[in-house]
Amino acid sequence: MSVMSKVQPDLRRKRINWQKVAVIVLFAIVPLFLLILFTYVPFVKMIQFSFYNMSYTKNKGFVGFDNYLKVFSKSEYVGAMLLSLYYMAGAVVQLALALFFASVLSLENIRGGGVYKAIMFFPFLVNGIAIGYIFKYFYTRGFVLDSVLQAIGFKLDSLPYWLRDQSVNNWSLVFTSVWKYCGQNMVLFIGAIASIDPTLYEAATIDGANRWQQFKAIILPGIKTVFMLNLILSITGSLSAFEPAYVVGSMGANGTATFFIKIHQMAHVSQKVGQACAMAMVLMGLILIFTVAQRLFFRYVMKDSENTFNAKANKAKALW
Amino acid sequence: MKKLLALVLALCLALGMASFAAADELPTLDQIVWGENTDLTAKIHFVYHRTDIPEKLQGYVDEFNKTYPNVEIEYELITDYAENALLRIGNNDWTIMGIPTVDKDELSKYYISLGKLDTLNGLYNFMSNWAYEGEAYGIPSTGNANGILYNKRIFAEAGVTELPKTPAEFLDALRAVKEKTDAIPLYTNYAAGWTMGAWDAYIGVAATGKAEYQNQILPHAKDPFAKQEDELTGPYAVYKILYDAAAEGLIEEDYTTTDWEGCKPMLNNGQIATMVLGSWAFTQMRDAEGGEHPEDVGYMAFPITVDGKQYAPAGPDYCFGINVQASDDEKLASLYYLKYVTEQSGFAYSEGGVPIDKNGEYPDLYAAFDGIDMVADADALEGEATLLSELNSESELAINAGGNTKVQEIVEHGFNHDKDFDDIMADWNEAWSDAQATLNVEVK
Repeated sequence: MSVMSKVQPDLRRKRINWQKVAVIVLFAIVPLFLLILFTYVPFVKMIQFSFYNMSYTKNKGFVGFDNYLKVFSKSEYVGAMLLSLYYMAGAVVQLALALFFASVLSLENIRGGGVYKAIMFFPFLVNGIAIGYIFKYFYTRGFVLDSVLQAIGFKLDSLPYWLRDQSVNNWSLVFTSVWKYCGQNMVLFIGAIASIDPTLYEAATIDGANRWQQFKAIILPGIKTVFMLNLILSITGSLSAFEPAYVVGSMGANGTATFFIKIHQMAHVSQKVGQACAMAMVLMGLILIFTVAQRLFFRYVMKDSENTFNAKANKAKALW
Repeated sequence: MKKLLALVLALCLALGMASFAAADELPTLDQIVWGENTDLTAKIHFVYHRTDIPEKLQGYVDEFNKTYPNVEIEYELITDYAENALLRIGNNDWTIMGIPTVDKDELSKYYISLGKLDTLNGLYNFMSNWAYEGEAYGIPSTGNANGILYNKRIFAEAGVTELPKTPAEFLDALRAVKEKTDAIPLYTNYAAGWTMGAWDAYIGVAATGKAEYQNQILPHAKDPFAKQEDELTGPYAVYKILYDAAAEGLIEEDYTTTDWEGCKPMLNNGQIATMVLGSWAFTQMRDAEGGEHPEDVGYMAFPITVDGKQYAPAGPDYCFGINVQASDDEKLASLYYLKYVTEQSGFAYSEGGVPIDKNGEYPDLYAAFDGIDMVADADALEGEATLLSELNSESELAINAGGNTKVQEIVEHGFNHDKDFDDIMADWNEAWSDAQATLNVEVK
């Protein structure tokens, strides 16, 4: 008791360090100002615009929720949203590939592992527009992809037109996005895996666990957070896919116009800025829903596995 | 106190003088005389879309500076011009720009008046393109008369001796090209997008023979895209050519990977037989790098005949406007420069364009236009200056205003045989009618 009473007056006497506060405020004010000016003000404006019938230069009046109703009543937009499914499927493949390469490069002592990492990561560094042009030539009839496939025995006549045939063109576009982002995901995974205590592998090896068991029991739980992050980023990225369809798919022609491209066309070709803002709000809402749904889903799944783990541990303790 | 009063008075006077000076009106384009005011000092920032000819433009600046040495002119050439210009229109970081798609009643917000439309119409062509309430705000760089680019040698090899005058004759010519030569009969340039939107340019004058069609009839038309009785005229006939060509495989095989720069020497060398583009493209095809047969590049009228006569829609390219926020000296210097470009530089002629100066000369590319009427679109009716652009926006068809996607879809549906042409046109009619209803437009 006597000790406590001695300590408490000390705490109470502790003054606010004004110098420190001033420094914090000064340093924070610039980024905060920029953040508010370039993110929050435009965002609030966008919400406002979405209730008006307006172009860039003219405001034709308040229309309430009309813009929102139009988003859902046109089958064209629903179709554009469904295109995201292609990109989501791509995202799953991309994460699986990234995780596979990351585990292999981390677990095995591969000679020249750094080089492989660099090669895999390189596409992420290339500008998206440049990638677009690369792939445009890649997919052109008789160019890179066709030549390679012919060299390994395919007949040109049996190959599809990668961008013209509507049954394959969206997959072609999804591939470019997988190609670009796979390396980035992989590097994030490698980073996460590197932070796992290596003695765990040793212990597991001694206990006779094979690589798959090590992956399942050590790596997967160890990189849970980064995995979630990558997944959320990939899924939201799929919902707002733009670059591949815009550059490789000729501005969303031939049935490749994603919802994001529809927004772009609405604002810049049809000049319906209000409508475009409403579409952007709907897209944001969708992304929020997906993110929250994913979090809830994984919290449920992860908690479950953690519980069983804890139960097992308790059991083991009790036995001990 | 007295001192303060005096100061305030002096200030008021000074301000009054200043506002008086500002109210002193600028001369108009027809009033200024070349060779006067040669000591004019100003800096002009010129925003323009012709990224392909920086040396040529610099040559004009050098030539202009011989008479007006203190006027500094700097060109900023932008690839993605239409969007960029629209975003920068309200800024003060440019002096002259090519006017992008704006509503006509807003012209005076961004550009100075170059003079009275009636006066300028007597001196230059196409001045009414950017005019509002009797004032002209933009002067064109060059004029275009729209037709079709074709390769003379390929047509001869295919046995097409007379230029086609109707859609049926044109399709026959394309079929002959496919049969008898290795050339691509009709190159759509699908992937570039805007090259597809270029088809819109033919639905007015070329398809109907009426100068009023685009700005006066179309906004009030009931079902403008419906089949006409004769099936040979009107917007329907224009787009039907494209649909049929795509459906019969008379276009390039892999249209999704077309390359705009690459197509120029291909037309020149006879790998492509025809392309539907404005006359501005003629010089680019003729002078294309890697093109070995400039003499084979020809230009013909659009193959639609109305009552025995063919028409070519003529119109201005980008028109130049002067920033309303520029200083008086900058505005005056800009007027002199625009006068020089229009009357002395020979720009329109060298671009193969219809001259802007009424005394200008027509280049020989229009040799095949003998007996074909060149008609400019008539202005919108009084009070309807913005009606077409509002309908374009509301219907999302964006006719002659960047609506490339809808024309690309014609190619897709034609090629894949998954939608009848009449159904496409019915959709467009519906969009147009809905827009007319929303905007309370009287339908005649």
